[in-house]
Amino acid sequence: MALPAAGWDVEYLEDTSPRRLVLEHYDREQLPLRRYLLFLGLDQESCREIVQESFLRLHQHILAGGDQTNLRAWLYRVAHNLARNSQTAFHSSRTGPLADATAAGDPPSAAASVEDEFLAKERTVRLSRAMQQLSTAQRECLVLRSQGLKYREIANVLNLSTSTVGENIQRGLEKLKEVL
Amino acid sequence: MNTPDHLTNDLLVRALDDELSDSENALVESHLPGCEHCGQNYAALRLLSGRIESVIAAATPEALEGDRDLLAERMETVCIQPAAVKNYRRAVRWIVPIAAALLLALFIPRLAHLSKQNQIAASQYRPGATLEVDGETFIPLPYSNPDLPMSAPHIVEMQVPVASLASAGLVFEPVSNGPAVSERSVLADVLVGLDGQPLGVHVLSVE
Repeated sequence: MALPAAGWDVEYLEDTSPRRLVLEHYDREQLPLRRYLLFLGLDQESCREIVQESFLRLHQHILAGGDQTNLRAWLYRVAHNLARNSQTAFHSSRTGPLADATAAGDPPSAAASVEDEFLAKERTVRLSRAMQQLSTAQRECLVLRSQGLKYREIANVLNLSTSTVGENIQRGLEKLKEVL
Repeated sequence: MNTPDHLTNDLLVRALDDELSDSENALVESHLPGCEHCGQNYAALRLLSGRIESVIAAATPEALEGDRDLLAERMETVCIQPAAVKNYRRAVRWIVPIAAALLLALFIPRLAHLSKQNQIAASQYRPGATLEVDGETFIPLPYSNPDLPMSAPHIVEMQVPVASLASAGLVFEPVSNGPAVSERSVLADVLVGLDGQPLGVHVLSVE
């Protein structure tokens, strides 16, 4: 087996830095994180800035020897707080997060016919509207849950108890079920 | 709806999310296969959860090709910054007021003790003796410990009361000014030694 060149070796060693760790997290989390921010009601440009800022803070957090036991929850919490600060600062007047969010692309559909596809889209729109009727906490919990966060992680992000997270998810689902 | 004969929505939702305790899990696993009502409820909640995921997944933000490179570049900038004192000061800007408060708690009592002795004008105090750290010149303070190494200097930018400096022999205005002197402060870089004590001072501005 050929040994790596010296230059490669140095590059590899440099890449085992916090910077590499952050980029690994970026590759894994940036899309779900941006989706979450979109559902908080932010526009694309704000999402982009907050994601950049969140990962830069993650880098600083790691460099400073911060706790690394759950960096995903840490990242979402930072992004969540930045988003809240941003919304408070600019008094966002957008009508709703989901209207913008769902306009960004067609929903995935297994519909075999045009009619099925139409029904699937119609259902998506209704569900989107129904989600706007939920309380902020219920919506946030459901969106974080859909990104694969565990209840204790969601609790960490939103500064709630785990039982409150469970309650928000349950109530949110019950409301959506009624509407649909 | 949630009669004792059936599982609650809370249990069913947490079962979906794999958030049950062992005993709850045992209850759900034993009940669900034999109860049509709970089975349908569970299936409905699972379907709804899947649809929510689809709606959220559909909200794919536009692709941002250059953002990863931009992040890498910005992190690189942080990494390659020399550990210069001025950068350090910028990084710790927010903790400076806290550090200053702590430092003054140590600083003032010692100076107050010295103030009872003769006050010496700055120009008269150890003439020609200065400390050079990272290109910055500091006037040594009377209680500097010359035995401690200077290899790891720590510089804190802070507001230093003129009265404290006067006690250390750095006089900025006639002592006869009285009360006004004690109320004023100057912006200064304070060189802190390894023992946490101020070694020297470099006055940055006098208002």
